[in-house]
Amino acid sequence: MERAEIVSQILAILEDVAEISPEDVNENSVMMDDLDLSSMEILTVVADLEETFGLRIPEKELRNFVTIGDLADYLTENAG
Amino acid sequence: MNAEQRAVFQGIVYYYRENQVICRYQAMLKDAIDPALLQKALDAARPLAEYYFCHVVWERREARLEPNTAPCHVRQGSAQPKIPEETNGYLFSLGYEGQTIYLDWFHFLADGRGGSPFFTLLLKQYSNLRYDAGFVCEALVSDPPYDVEELLARYPESQVTNDMQKDVLQIHEGTPHFQRLRLEKQSLVELAQREGVKPFSALMGLACQAAQQYLEKNELVYSYAADTRAALGVPNALYNCIASFQLPLQLEPQARLHSFAKQLDADIRASLTPERRLFRMAEQMGWVYQVFRQKAALKIKKRVFQMGEYISGFPADFWVSYIGSPLQPHSPELEDYLTDFQTWVLPDGASLAMEVTSLHGVLTCCIENKVDKPGYLEALRDVMEREGVKVLEAVHIS
Repeated sequence: MERAEIVSQILAILEDVAEISPEDVNENSVMMDDLDLSSMEILTVVADLEETFGLRIPEKELRNFVTIGDLADYLTENAG
Repeated sequence: MNAEQRAVFQGIVYYYRENQVICRYQAMLKDAIDPALLQKALDAARPLAEYYFCHVVWERREARLEPNTAPCHVRQGSAQPKIPEETNGYLFSLGYEGQTIYLDWFHFLADGRGGSPFFTLLLKQYSNLRYDAGFVCEALVSDPPYDVEELLARYPESQVTNDMQKDVLQIHEGTPHFQRLRLEKQSLVELAQREGVKPFSALMGLACQAAQQYLEKNELVYSYAADTRAALGVPNALYNCIASFQLPLQLEPQARLHSFAKQLDADIRASLTPERRLFRMAEQMGWVYQVFRQKAALKIKKRVFQMGEYISGFPADFWVSYIGSPLQPHSPELEDYLTDFQTWVLPDGASLAMEVTSLHGVLTCCIENKVDKPGYLEALRDVMEREGVKVLEAVHIS
């Protein structure tokens, strides 16, 4: 899947989970600081992404997800 | 949270865990079990123990408990059934093989302390029928569910944001191996007295030494559970009511018990005050509560819960669970009918689990080990003998 498509999926899920408009987000947005997401919201986004992309993200990867771009990087590399 | 939600909340965490956690108590009697009498005992227990004869009904995303009126049959054989798929919806199963009676139950229903009164009642009913033992069998009535919202309001500082960037302990998740160790209780008590610590602290210290040797690491995270019934004001709760503690320990290479027993004991004692138990309960149930309230499918809730628990520092290298006398109320008269007692629980959230019961002056340690390498039992035996605790048995089961 193209990276742009992946980012667009992430933004859609983010909008659904945290009601954040895609226009207010870019790849450099820091999830906890810039977007003010709680850990519950971040984990819900991750769980939804697992469902969407049909993969299981190992828990040890969670610490690497600081920005939206980090999520996109992981999915670009690992999602079929 | 309404009454229906409160009734399932105490155990709902066991629907969020990746592996279904089934607990097992098994008691060996002096004679082969009579299946017809065991069935009669189970039937006689039903009106006295309604709490256990329920089933879970899911409606959309919500679960509730309802009385289960389906037949409840005893099972032949030691294999654990799938609960509730193979148990007519019941959340427990009573089985038998040879001289042994097995009670398996889904952890959702009760913790070990909540399983004990039911198993004790069943053993009494069976002994009355089989041996004309004359035990008085009283009804088991649970205290109502505690109010988690009140608990969280009392300890708001227990609810901190999970730090997603911190290091998390990696645990082993291999196929569990089963091992059993039996110790002479008196020798452990004497060791504890020499060190000036609680017997449980001595046992935990020995388990730490064995884990150090086996896992080849000097920095360990050990875990244990504490009953919170009294602190919560629900002494007769039959549902889950435990707080689990995960504490770090730095050992010097090839540590001897004497070098760290006092500190370990102090750490454990400090955690067992009513206030600390309640605070820990609020910490761990706060996350469950957040997930519980989420408007999401169970599948999503499960993943969110699991990831949150992981980053909150729940995993430990091992846990030791000491239930002591497995009979509740404690009954030396009933103990006379038993020749052995074992308890088994999957080490969920840890690499190793040791469940310990005490009967006839013998500590029976049932070990489930998910580390894919040999040597744990041998390490335990080495440590016990080095520190003066008499090992009566050390066997690999499977």
